[in-house]
Amino acid sequence: MSEVQRRKYSQEEKNAIFDGEFMPHIDSMYNFGYRLTFDEDDAKDLVQDTYLKAYRFINSFEQGTNAKAWLFRILKNSFINEYRKKSKQPTKVDYQEVETYYNSDDVHYQSTSDLRAESVKDMLGDEISNALNSLAVDFRTVIILCDLEGFTYEEMAKILDIPIGTVRSRLHRARNLLKEKLQGYAQNMGYNTDVDEE
Amino acid sequence: MKENASGERKTQCSDESKCFELLESILDGEMIDSGKEVLKEKLAKCQPCFEHYHLEQAIRDVLKTKCTKQAVPTELADSIRKQIQDIK
Repeated sequence: MSEVQRRKYSQEEKNAIFDGEFMPHIDSMYNFGYRLTFDEDDAKDLVQDTYLKAYRFINSFEQGTNAKAWLFRILKNSFINEYRKKSKQPTKVDYQEVETYYNSDDVHYQSTSDLRAESVKDMLGDEISNALNSLAVDFRTVIILCDLEGFTYEEMAKILDIPIGTVRSRLHRARNLLKEKLQGYAQNMGYNTDVDEE
Repeated sequence: MKENASGERKTQCSDESKCFELLESILDGEMIDSGKEVLKEKLAKCQPCFEHYHLEQAIRDVLKTKCTKQAVPTELADSIRKQIQDIK
């Protein structure tokens, strides 16, 4: 998505794109905003801001291409550039720091290999949501984009401005972290985790 | 010798980290053509891969179906349209 103005839409075309291609994603956008900020007003502001920007830069949107990915990219950039600066940054985590830390090959899934598919299936929505919400925002984001919103790796790479290889490895690490959280719930809730008693 | 007849999976995966990442890509629909064969092979022959695949699948399912969804505030769409009107 370049900011280069590729075309000039007529007012009618603009309205058609906005209503037909942008507005249908408001639900996903709001939920993405909420999962980033955990605040209804902040989520509203982010979505509103995103749609205003989308309208302002509508000439750089190519009609018929992936509007949802285009909008998500704007929202994510607004979040990083504006919201994170303004807010008290309760979830501020340095990307590099997290990435380097978890990039080490020592962090493997073995630590949670006791987690069973059956116990995951029995978990409550709140437990799943809380586990996801407890991840650092950058790990949370890739899981939201991939699993909740169904974006492909290629779309995610564009939304996040990172190479596809980084999408893949960040997702892998995010999932390992998520499994650790779920494992914690599983043990607390007394789900069968096959842990040998020592 | 036929003790390790087909149907029995090896209990150790020699390259877990790589295999698991691959399985995850397949689950994410990223390896549509080449993925199916790899997947069949791994699930048939490797217990850790088999378990990992099913665990990851279960996690994706619960993420998709159980994560709390926020209802969009009813006034949001209207408020956006109104602001757009103002800048038109």
